[in-house]
Amino acid sequence: MGTIRVRFIIVALVVSFFAVGMAAFLNYFKYKSTISGIVKSRVLVIGRNVENSVQASLSVGMQFMELGTMNALLSREKASDRLIHGIDVFDQTGQVLYSTERARVGEKVSNSWIEAAARSKTTEWGTEAPDEYVAGISLKNNFDLTVGYLALRYSAEEVDRAAKVAGREILLASIFSFLGIALVAPLALIVVIRRFERDLRALEAAASHLEDRNEPAGPTGSAFDTAIGNLRSSLREANVALDDLRAKLDSVP
Amino acid sequence: MIRALLALFIVSLTLVGDGDARAQASTRPYRIYAITFRGMTDVEKGFQDYFAARRIPVQITWRDLNRENSRMSGFLEEIKRTKPDLVYTWGTSVTLGVVGTYDQVDPAVNITDIPVVFTLVAAPVLAKIVRDLKNPGRNVTGVFHVAPTEAQIRAMASYRPFKSIGILYTPTEQNSVVVVEEVREVSKRLGFTVIAKPLRLDANKKVTAEGAPEMVRELKQQNVEWLYLPPDSYLGTIAQKVVIPAAMAVGLPAFASTEQLMETGAVAGLVSRYHSIGQFTAYKAEQILVNKVPPAKIPVETLTRFALQVRMDIAEQLKLPPPLPMFNYAELIVPKPEPAQPAAAQK
Amino acid sequence: MLEKNYLWRIYWRLAGVIMVCVVIALAVVSFFSHRVFDRELVPETEQKAATVGASVRALVLKATSYGIDFSQLYGVEQTFAEVFEENPEFAYMAITNTEGNVLFARGTEPIGARSHFRNPVVLQIAHETTELSKAARVGQQYIVSMPINDDGKPLGVLHVGIDAAFVDHVLLEVLLDVVVVLVVSLFFTLELLNFMAGARLASGLGEFARQVDRMRSGDFTATARIRANDEIGRLLRRIDSAIDHLNVRYEFLVGELQDKLRTATAQRREALKPAQDALEGISKRLRFGSAPEATDGDEMNLNRIRAPLFAFILAEELTRSFLPSYVNQLIVAIPGISPQVVIGLPIMLFMLIVALGQPYLGSWSERVGRRKAMLVGAIVATIGFAGTALAYNLYDLILWRSLCALGYAMVFVAAQGYVLDRTGHQNRAQGFALFIGAIMVATVCGPSIGGILADNIGYRLSFGVSALMSLFSILAIMRLPTTEVVLPTGKPTRGPRMREIMALIVNRRFMTLTGLAAMPAKVILTGVCFYLVPLYIVSIGNTSAMAGRMLMVYAVMMVLIVPLSASLSDATMRRDRYVSVGLIISGLSGLLLLLSDSFLVLFGVVFLLGLGQALSIAAQSALVAEHCQEEIRIYGNDAVYGVYRLLERLGNALGPLIASLLVILWGYQGSFVALSALVLFCGIAFTIATHGSEWQPAAPAHS
Repeated sequence: MGTIRVRFIIVALVVSFFAVGMAAFLNYFKYKSTISGIVKSRVLVIGRNVENSVQASLSVGMQFMELGTMNALLSREKASDRLIHGIDVFDQTGQVLYSTERARVGEKVSNSWIEAAARSKTTEWGTEAPDEYVAGISLKNNFDLTVGYLALRYSAEEVDRAAKVAGREILLASIFSFLGIALVAPLALIVVIRRFERDLRALEAAASHLEDRNEPAGPTGSAFDTAIGNLRSSLREANVALDDLRAKLDSVP
Repeated sequence: MIRALLALFIVSLTLVGDGDARAQASTRPYRIYAITFRGMTDVEKGFQDYFAARRIPVQITWRDLNRENSRMSGFLEEIKRTKPDLVYTWGTSVTLGVVGTYDQVDPAVNITDIPVVFTLVAAPVLAKIVRDLKNPGRNVTGVFHVAPTEAQIRAMASYRPFKSIGILYTPTEQNSVVVVEEVREVSKRLGFTVIAKPLRLDANKKVTAEGAPEMVRELKQQNVEWLYLPPDSYLGTIAQKVVIPAAMAVGLPAFASTEQLMETGAVAGLVSRYHSIGQFTAYKAEQILVNKVPPAKIPVETLTRFALQVRMDIAEQLKLPPPLPMFNYAELIVPKPEPAQPAAAQK
Repeated sequence: MLEKNYLWRIYWRLAGVIMVCVVIALAVVSFFSHRVFDRELVPETEQKAATVGASVRALVLKATSYGIDFSQLYGVEQTFAEVFEENPEFAYMAITNTEGNVLFARGTEPIGARSHFRNPVVLQIAHETTELSKAARVGQQYIVSMPINDDGKPLGVLHVGIDAAFVDHVLLEVLLDVVVVLVVSLFFTLELLNFMAGARLASGLGEFARQVDRMRSGDFTATARIRANDEIGRLLRRIDSAIDHLNVRYEFLVGELQDKLRTATAQRREALKPAQDALEGISKRLRFGSAPEATDGDEMNLNRIRAPLFAFILAEELTRSFLPSYVNQLIVAIPGISPQVVIGLPIMLFMLIVALGQPYLGSWSERVGRRKAMLVGAIVATIGFAGTALAYNLYDLILWRSLCALGYAMVFVAAQGYVLDRTGHQNRAQGFALFIGAIMVATVCGPSIGGILADNIGYRLSFGVSALMSLFSILAIMRLPTTEVVLPTGKPTRGPRMREIMALIVNRRFMTLTGLAAMPAKVILTGVCFYLVPLYIVSIGNTSAMAGRMLMVYAVMMVLIVPLSASLSDATMRRDRYVSVGLIISGLSGLLLLLSDSFLVLFGVVFLLGLGQALSIAAQSALVAEHCQEEIRIYGNDAVYGVYRLLERLGNALGPLIASLLVILWGYQGSFVALSALVLFCGIAFTIATHGSEWQPAAPAHS
């Protein structure tokens, strides 16, 4: 006994590995997208504050290029959330016009930012670099012309840390429940397999006594009773015929 | 890496169009001949600011009609002599003086061979400047400045919801009559009642302010919640002295449809900022001068975003403070004598 | 078929037990995930509430700076409503004065809020001038409170309530995917049981049953077969040994008799006569000796095709739910062709290569050997998948997808040939059931899992998974027996000739079946399932995972209904009626979108489409044999079926093209409706065309 049992148990393990693994995968990614969504929307709240100020200034006739209070405003807003590394405002060519870091003014931003902003169907956009995430808002003037972009760079670490912690715990939970299955499933399976094995054993037992002349101990209740009966009767029939031949041969001295 | 390079290439491609034109232009500034109606306004400032911001070199010749139509012929003669690249016209009278109505153009008098960009025309179709806003079809395009009626009604409702509004208007001004009709249309959809009262005409069929304060009081008795001031020239001249005082006396808030009406003392208004209008007009001019799009194919438009203005002193007098969300986007006006509260919504 | 049913009963029981275990494990994982989510997400959300609150507070302070009395603020609730709209996890917002009386509030007030607001500790917050916020659990909410303080003058406190159940909502969204994983696991279990244990068990039990039958018919010849060392193998060995004993005894008796006869006198010979007669009687009834060299073992080898085929088809099916979206991302504007059509291009090309390649690849795989052909196909496809994952833009994507298509056609045809080679007339249907079974299970598991993967790890990595799956199939193919079965007929299969195609294409009876039933069915299948559903779902802001779920509904319908309708269409109703009903149901499916554009309606669409297709699919090809006997007599069975399959597969290629053109004209919904209307029209036309007496079922004598 055993090989079939082992095979069935392997199937159980493979399937539960797949299912538990997928569930862990799903939970982890859901967690990660939820938490980065929360953090991003928090950063965008601050972005909206800046946008409102820019709009107000534009509509009273100030030039986008000449918003005198912009750098101060950006620094103030940046200070309101420790998560934010920096805030930049850049024009359509990617040139930074205002920034919380003076050194960045006049520099060009990464092209991926402009691409992300262009791809977005709304005024909100975002990109992810390995160490830093960017949430942005496209700034439009009174006749719907995009005059520039607002980009809030914020720490990827917050999201990554949370994801790592959660990832580890979800992984642990998955490993434990998989181990749980690995212990329980064989036991549960054996209940089913045993019936199958009993059938097979009965079959084998019957087969091992195929050549006994005695009638079998009666039906075992297994699904193979008829088949074994047939087997027996054909064997008996053949033996009877050969017995007859033997007797006839023996009757001649 | 390759992808990044390609993206760079695409981006630069899109920029080349602009850059080329600019580079080419830098050799010789575009010559613009501008005619105003009553001196320089914020519109002209916005117009110039736009070119400066975009680094488009322009050389503008300023002429002022100063409300005297007799000076027009001299300007037209000068335009024909100097052949500028573009003509800028301020307001309906100036524009009509330069280009004429579409069904009565006299090439001997009107300008037809030089692109004309008009600004601050309340109703370009009604004034017969263009037949179709989307498709001007003649060598003229421009910007109109009145916010769509429905947007105004919605702005009014977001300040204070209402079931009924009253309107005073000049029956001889077709412009106003049309707006009143539009308000009625909107009222059917949004579900409110409109009580519109035409101003009286005197014996010479000339409109008069007589009886206007009584009308305002009647409106109040008929339980209207807002007094709407349509873009009406005559109303504009009497609002400050006659209509608004009457409304304030009975505690009826007024809502303005233009910046001029706003200045007469309405509590709120959805208006086009003159500066923005000027910028938008310059944008249209850029299309013609730099991008070489024929004016006939440039739609006549207005802004997509208007300034919601609120007079804080009036709001306080009426005990109607603006709703909290409005502090985010409205332009809050505190009259001069008050200490400096910058009108720009700075935090 | 005692042993087959018996085995399936065991499988289902085993699968049941495994599923119960899996459900428990998933519950455990979800429980722990919930704990983690709760612990980590709540503080993060509180932070966000503090930021949002600070923004509202700034607005309030701005209003008061204009001289508006704090308690007289207007439209505060409106501001709260706007906050709720953007942040659905916030359930309640309130502003109290310095005594803790609520001045403005909106949302569901948690139980105990009023006393919480009056708590001196909470009221103390109003006097803070720093950027501070405090969070506390009140009833069913987490309340974040922060001061409203005008430069040292306390005005009141702002409270933001976070619904504690929002974590449940987040996890509920995962639950849908977990259910999908469960369904896929079930199919996976059955497939694996069959793969790991079943192939051997089924063939062992089959061998046993055959042995029993042989012996009942008196055949006691010994088979010199090597038995596996497992339960069934040992059982068979016992029987073998019993047979051997019999044979030995028989040989001995025969030898003894002959011995005696040779030395016997005439008298003794007379005496031996009864024995001799008895031996003759035995020889007539029973057979002994050794059996002819066994050519079978085929059944077991037949089963072995299932695993590699499943793995390979799964690789392709994984991409169904997100391929169009991926193409959309890599799209390059091709002048003169609408982007809608361009998105459909790779799918179209894939189907076209499969359709045109199959007839020729059939004879090729015969020449090089099925195993080798499958191997080459799988390698080509693996390269294709890897290339697709790394594609630079649309142009090379099309190249890579063409490789996938070529590989797909090779593997498909070779596997089909493998089954054909190893089945005789009596078990061919069974062989194909196995073939179709593997494909169907792959269509259930593939798109749904693929959609989930695409949403979480991106399109490119998901194609990487496909490449990996395809690589696995290479390993499985290598385990197939290297000896090829050469069919005795020896007539190589060939693609249909142009002459035959032309002749059949103008044949009314043939084209009624092909043009009105088979082709439209395929057009709506590929047009809706492979093109419209993935694109439409994403265009209305839903995910690829949702598209995968939709396609799973379709596949599950096929798996459940096809066997049912296949057995029913033989028994109860004329086959063409099944085709009519199926086409009309398919044709009604898209019309559902006239009712509403909700994605729930789309579930109804794929449900009906699956039902309709499942009803008609089995009957369709059988109808060709039934009604085109005249044509089969003229052109031969192979040619008629060859042309039929070719046209059917061209339908596959036409689907995305027609669908994309309809999208340009009428948008996505319009395309669904128009495509369905087309099929509905074909269904009605087919019904009318088959109404006549010539379409009565063939007389039994024929078959």
